[in-house]
Amino acid sequence: MSDFGDPTDAASAPATPPGPSAVSPALRDPANQVSPRAVSYWMLTSALGSILVLGALGVGWYFWRERPWWATALLAVVLAVAAVETFVAPRIRFRVHRWEVTNEAIFTRSGWLSREQRIAPLSRVQTVDSNQGVLMRIFGLAQITVTTASAAGPITITGLAEDVARRTVAELTEITAAAEGDAT
Amino acid sequence: MSQPPEEGYDEVPAPDTDAPAEVPGEAPADPAVSPEEDWQRLDRRMLLLGPVDALKQFAVPALIAVIGLSTSRGSFEGWLLIPAALGAIILGVIPWLTTKYRFTETQFQLHKGLVSRSQVTAPLDRVRSVDLESSLIHRILGITKVKIGTGVDDTQIELRAVSQEAAVELRRRLLQRRTTSANAAQAQPVEAGELADSAGPVDEPEAPDEPAETLAAFDWSWLRFAPFSLSRLVVVAAAVGVLAQFGDSLPIFERENIEGAWEWVRSIAISLIIVTVIVGAVVGWLLISVIGYVVQWYGFRLTRERGNLNVAAGLFTTRSTTVEEARVRGVQLVEPWLMRPVHGCELAALCTGVGSGGVTPVLPPAPTSVGIRVGHDALGAGDLGTLSVPLSEHGPEARRRCFFRALRPPLALALVFAGVAWWRDWAWWWPVGFAVLALGLGVLAGATAYRNLGHGLSTEHLVSGDGTFDRRRTVLETDGIIGWVVAQSWFQRRLGLATLKATTAAGSEYVAVRDIELDRAVALADRATPGMLTPFLDGVPSP
Repeated sequence: MSDFGDPTDAASAPATPPGPSAVSPALRDPANQVSPRAVSYWMLTSALGSILVLGALGVGWYFWRERPWWATALLAVVLAVAAVETFVAPRIRFRVHRWEVTNEAIFTRSGWLSREQRIAPLSRVQTVDSNQGVLMRIFGLAQITVTTASAAGPITITGLAEDVARRTVAELTEITAAAEGDAT
Repeated sequence: MSQPPEEGYDEVPAPDTDAPAEVPGEAPADPAVSPEEDWQRLDRRMLLLGPVDALKQFAVPALIAVIGLSTSRGSFEGWLLIPAALGAIILGVIPWLTTKYRFTETQFQLHKGLVSRSQVTAPLDRVRSVDLESSLIHRILGITKVKIGTGVDDTQIELRAVSQEAAVELRRRLLQRRTTSANAAQAQPVEAGELADSAGPVDEPEAPDEPAETLAAFDWSWLRFAPFSLSRLVVVAAAVGVLAQFGDSLPIFERENIEGAWEWVRSIAISLIIVTVIVGAVVGWLLISVIGYVVQWYGFRLTRERGNLNVAAGLFTTRSTTVEEARVRGVQLVEPWLMRPVHGCELAALCTGVGSGGVTPVLPPAPTSVGIRVGHDALGAGDLGTLSVPLSEHGPEARRRCFFRALRPPLALALVFAGVAWWRDWAWWWPVGFAVLALGLGVLAGATAYRNLGHGLSTEHLVSGDGTFDRRRTVLETDGIIGWVVAQSWFQRRLGLATLKATTAAGSEYVAVRDIELDRAVALADRATPGMLTPFLDGVPSP
């Protein structure tokens, strides 16, 4: 670390919290996984989207009389991408998507090719919502969104089992209601 | 305000629900509780202004009615103008009659409206900013418009006409009450020591009557930056676009005129015309930019008074914005690419609870040295150097990312160009030349982007540098950070990099540190907000 004016020196080290210079800290995995049913949910949503796109393209491809070779190649690529998104991505997602709520903060991880980890202290939380789309209801899933005063800060946990979502929302509401200040 | 046009005039406002920070039910009960002050009216001079404003609103429909009736009846129905004028006067007077405001112990109350009355109640400790704005007419009449920002959302409470002295007094009370009531309910209304409360970076307690400290003032030599600031170019481009429409009908551009016996002479004339147009454009731009600069920034002053920052400027319409200093969460210094060779910059403050997106310009385009000094002053506290000190670099992987990012678009363009060239059977050196040019620019952009990239952390501020051609440095108070996002794209993951975003309620909602190594990102976040990440950290020896 060579940040200027920054307490890396031994002299000002006490100013930093527990772990000083020696071990560089890393974020650990959030404690909880989402519901395993989320995999089927993601597969279904992705499949429905793929079927729409592929259906349209397939019809076009079929009725194109003198189709050039690259039209076929393009269709094959789209097909492959759709297959990966439908059959591979949800499984990876399930391994990546994790979440945790402590008394002080909420911590989530999401993504599959890209990754995103979000942390917000509960003292800064402004609203806690949960919602459930039609497809989510089929699988008994729900989604929680926690917002802070920053438009860049909302945290969404998808693929929670309904009862877990309900419990978590109740818990979050209780903790955040106790917090004071205007959360900016 | 979500008011229909004819009501935008003020006086028949929407129901109470859109009033900021409103406490319904409290206002009616209040007069009994603390009859501490009488209701005050807007300034009487508004009676002159109101009808004019009203007239502006329905001058067109009135004229249409007059003309319509006149043509259908075949005679000039001028008498119609009389009810129109009367209507304007009445509509202009009603707001004055129905609007009243006052202070109570803890609130600012505003009542207005004739048909549907609205009562706005703003708790004084929620008042974050006060804007005074006076157009030329306002200034001749000696009145001003007051807008009060309560930070609940972007809606502001507006008083349309207050005498200038009353406005200054109003602002003083609105912002001063806020400070004292934030401290303690029992605090004396004017107590200098109390003002420097622990809530913000108010570094010097000032006596209540002490004159404001001037941080920066208008300097005529800054005019040299006006032509390099492109913010006004949009207006000019639009004007040029309109002119170009007429340009088509000029005879010189018509083909038949160019060909023929006078071709040679005319071709010289055309090159002359082109030169004239270019010179004219440059001179015009110089004039417009300099005049625009003066109109917008004449009399500019940035002052600090009793824990508030004030920006005042304007040649014709003067505007004076006052923001509670504790709401200034950081600053952003931008050196646009045109201004970098001449060492100019633009400075803005990142505020919470202020309208206009929370990014308030606090300096006209000015020398970078001035920007840095004023920026440090505005940040307050003993946190010198955040705007000028070199930042820590992000390393070779980040450099690769910068080049990759910068080269991707020119590479794609070059490929497309090559494809087109192959298709159309152009000479080989066309695509090659284009590729060399585009990729050369890309390399330049990548190198610059990496030079501008960096981060830093001081005792109270997180610093992020970025930008490709424009160089940006953003300084954010670590107290203002309300969460973190660590994002990694697939490419970043392969290089072990991440983009760290500190989310905040101020400015553009987050400050990003791009392409920083993952472990450094986590360490930086951990040190910037001690404790926030602690429960989620690994590899920290537990105490």
